[in-house]
Amino acid sequence: MHCGEASGWRVVAAAVGLLLVAATLTGCGSGDSGRVVLHSYSPVDGADQYAAAAAACSRASGGRYTIQMRTGRRSTDDQRLQLARRLVANDSDLDIMLLDVIWTAEFAQAGWILPYPADLARHVEQETLQGPYETGTYQGRLYAAPLNTNTQLLWYRTDLVPNPPRTWDEMIQMAEDLAARGLPHYIEVQGAQFEGLTVWFNTLVTTAGGSILSENGEVEVAHGDAARRAMEVMARVATSPAADPSLSVAKETDARLAMEAGLAAFQVNYPAVHASVNTPGPDGGGGTFIDPLGRPTIQDTGRRVRDVFGWTAYPSVMSGKPATVTVGGLNLGVSTTSQHPAEAFEAVQCLRNRENQLRNAIDAGMPPTLRELYDDPAFQREYPAWQAIRDSLAAASVRPKTPAYQNVSIVISDLLNPPAEINPDTMLGQLTDGIAEAVKSEGLVP
Amino acid sequence: MTGTRERKAWWAVADVVILVYALVPVLWIASLSFKPPRAIADGRFVPSEFTWSNYQQVFQLDLFTSALRNSIGIALIATALSVVIGTLAAYAIARLSFPGKKQLVGVTLLVAMFPQMSLISPLFDIERSVGLFDTWAGLVLPYIAFSLPLAVYTLSAFFREIPWELEKAARMDGATPFQAFHNVILPLAAPGVFTTAILVFIFCWNDFLFAASLTATTTSETATVAITNFAGASQFDEPTGSIAAAALLLTIPTTLFVLLSQRRIVAGLTAGAMKG
Amino acid sequence: MMMTAQTGVRAPVSARGHQRVPVPEGVRSEHRFAALLCAPAVLVITVVAAYPIGYAIYLSFQRFDLRFSEQRSFVGLANYGAVLTSHYWWQALTVTLIITVVSVAIELVIGLALALAMNRTLVGRGLVRTVVLIPYSIITVVAAFSWQFAWTPNKGYLAALLPAGVAPLTDQVSAVAVIILAEVWKTTPFMALLLLAGLALVPDELLRAAQIDGAGPWKRLTTVILPLMKPAILVALLFRTLDAFRIFDSIYILTQGSNGTGSVSMLGYDNLFIVFNLGIGSTISVLIFMVVAIVAFVFVKLFGVAAPGAEADERRQR
Repeated sequence: MHCGEASGWRVVAAAVGLLLVAATLTGCGSGDSGRVVLHSYSPVDGADQYAAAAAACSRASGGRYTIQMRTGRRSTDDQRLQLARRLVANDSDLDIMLLDVIWTAEFAQAGWILPYPADLARHVEQETLQGPYETGTYQGRLYAAPLNTNTQLLWYRTDLVPNPPRTWDEMIQMAEDLAARGLPHYIEVQGAQFEGLTVWFNTLVTTAGGSILSENGEVEVAHGDAARRAMEVMARVATSPAADPSLSVAKETDARLAMEAGLAAFQVNYPAVHASVNTPGPDGGGGTFIDPLGRPTIQDTGRRVRDVFGWTAYPSVMSGKPATVTVGGLNLGVSTTSQHPAEAFEAVQCLRNRENQLRNAIDAGMPPTLRELYDDPAFQREYPAWQAIRDSLAAASVRPKTPAYQNVSIVISDLLNPPAEINPDTMLGQLTDGIAEAVKSEGLVP
Repeated sequence: MTGTRERKAWWAVADVVILVYALVPVLWIASLSFKPPRAIADGRFVPSEFTWSNYQQVFQLDLFTSALRNSIGIALIATALSVVIGTLAAYAIARLSFPGKKQLVGVTLLVAMFPQMSLISPLFDIERSVGLFDTWAGLVLPYIAFSLPLAVYTLSAFFREIPWELEKAARMDGATPFQAFHNVILPLAAPGVFTTAILVFIFCWNDFLFAASLTATTTSETATVAITNFAGASQFDEPTGSIAAAALLLTIPTTLFVLLSQRRIVAGLTAGAMKG
Repeated sequence: MMMTAQTGVRAPVSARGHQRVPVPEGVRSEHRFAALLCAPAVLVITVVAAYPIGYAIYLSFQRFDLRFSEQRSFVGLANYGAVLTSHYWWQALTVTLIITVVSVAIELVIGLALALAMNRTLVGRGLVRTVVLIPYSIITVVAAFSWQFAWTPNKGYLAALLPAGVAPLTDQVSAVAVIILAEVWKTTPFMALLLLAGLALVPDELLRAAQIDGAGPWKRLTTVILPLMKPAILVALLFRTLDAFRIFDSIYILTQGSNGTGSVSMLGYDNLFIVFNLGIGSTISVLIFMVVAIVAFVFVKLFGVAAPGAEADERRQR
């Protein structure tokens, strides 16, 4: 080696050594104090609030346990992958997990979460709203106690739409009228190939009186005409002149942004959009300015989207019968690999108590699952749409309860995307076959 | 051939094109890493505002610092073991004649061409049952197995370059084969061993599929996987600046290695086909 | 290659013309020594590569979903039937083949040009050779992020060159094109290095002779350089084809395999980790291995590519 190269290598070696030392030092954590430590995993959204709840509950335990709340991966799918991989590898560092509502059946069947003790389950059932409670049960037993929930409402522009529509057909008609008059007219829905599309389909099917899958695995999507009507609605929305061109790749954020940009007259979305449009941003927040006709403009007209932001119940499929919106949310589960299940169940009761759910609702935008909180004035102040939310939750639907839910959902969203190409005649059969295969976990996922 | 000024100019142009080709993506990542969050969406190649905040953020992330530690540790261990095992086998292949040599070379090449996905399924099941899932050893072992072909290939080419006489002279003097190997050949092969170590390190550092499949927590997650798991303020927020900063940091070691020993690496990678 | 022995002792020459170092204890000791030296490598490869592939074949004959672990059963070739009749498999295979063929073809052309430049440039040869290694030294994931950010509307400088709002990564055809570009960028230098080795074997005298005969640069390339480089080109093609076939990292970062851009490796990963179907995942693993083996077989037997190790042995025999 030449001298120059040798000294170059010394520099590199020093740099690597420094990096290693720096990484080690910053990575060194504090040691445990010897008491029971419950490791808890939450998603990124609301991490601060969950951490605050964990701290509060650790204090309230009187020294019996400490809850260490860690955040998992960025997306819910990655979160599930990380938890599931650790569970099949018998990782005992998992005690409490915040589970998406659609994971209950899967985690329960796989033996990854413990069923709740009967008396605790009864207590949870009494104080929780019906819809969210449903999402935590599998084959009659409670496996995951509801922590927060989420449901969609119809948000619309009060200046463009004096009387909000009751059904999808009405809404499409109104949107087309607006389009003909050259005004903002998009109907924002989640039409991308992802879980949100399955949620839309499930909502429409249950609203039309049908269901996709029974709890013992019977494929019911072809029974009656509910699925056909649902598909027709989706196709009509996507192919109407009032459709947003990027509907087939739109997710919740895209829908929200389109409305805030003044391009949309309607959106079906979660209550977080209301908080978002009312958040003061760097330029004042509240969406774009709108001119007297209702079109978006960059001039300061004194009127913004937030000033004409209204809400109503989710549109139904047929008039007279309200929609049964599919709920989302998070439940609390205790892992079977935990070494302190008794303390974990105790901690769960605290993590979902009144103060913590209220904090989650007000600071993190997550509607609570405790029935009594909907009468709380602090909550009602933060959620002006609280009545619509409660009513929606009272008549909620849930997604198919099957351990193979991932398979089923992928089949549905794969087939129904892009919504503009939905053809009920050919697709109903494909859907039935695909779901039948998916439920048995046969067949591939893309 | 005489280089006329015109031909030199043309070659200079060609060189500049090559430079642009190689450097633009790296410069882009660097540019993103210095942009403050509000400038990320402006689409400019050269940042209009300059900030170190992304780097500060990245080093405060426990996820990243522990991942860095894992990456360095696992890569160093795997490199050391792979080079040692590879050196032994390469010497045998280059110098000695024994039954099954052709098959061994063939199998080694076969492993080099293995689609890694073919191993993920069984390795995941084996490691989770045996308790190797999410451990350093669980990654080191596949890394050794998959870098051995590269190591053996490169090292045997270097060994072939060393003249036989030295070894024969040592044997004449009464040295055992091992002593001849250790005292005579090894010091001469040192540069080759060094180059092989760099190539193997780059391989381990670069790996994504094994690391993504066989790790789950900060215990053994490598930096390559960690940057794909960076979380912004919410699940809809992609922390572009942090990812870019971390990405650039990860690029530094391997790029340094490569730049400092470019000649040897080129020789090492092309050795087998050139020689023999 | 300096193999001539110039010592006073005449080394015994075996029937195959090999020269061996005289070993006092005899041939067996050398074999023992060789076995000892190779043992660790053989052990690692057996434990970490050979055994798992056998285990994968074993798993592929079972219906084994980690979420229904008590329903594990032996189902023979049913998994293979399920995979081979699934349009997801054929789509992934087609996408993988397209990416492989197109990217290797582009790499061959650009790599050849790069090799010629590295060999013959009159200006900054060291700099070019150094800079060319940078794509090789960058982590694939990092490069993929660079491209992903570059092609994202509003964020990226490349997206800024396209009409507003166009997102190449959300459409199947344009996304595959972006993936191919990313692959080509990253691995062309490696291809160039492999070709450079072959280029170095072309004797200058032949080129000069051709030049004197009046052949222009293009003619020299096609009639002298390329035919002499054929073995090196075939080896490079073999390595790169097998390498391109197992593409995963770039696709994972650029599109996560959505919109029909997933490769067979992505398909295996998704079936293994999204639905924890070890049976189907292993089946896909085995099928990928078989396709790769077929491709390698075609190259070796039909195109006459000699494995470099065997090549060396052959030449030593002469």
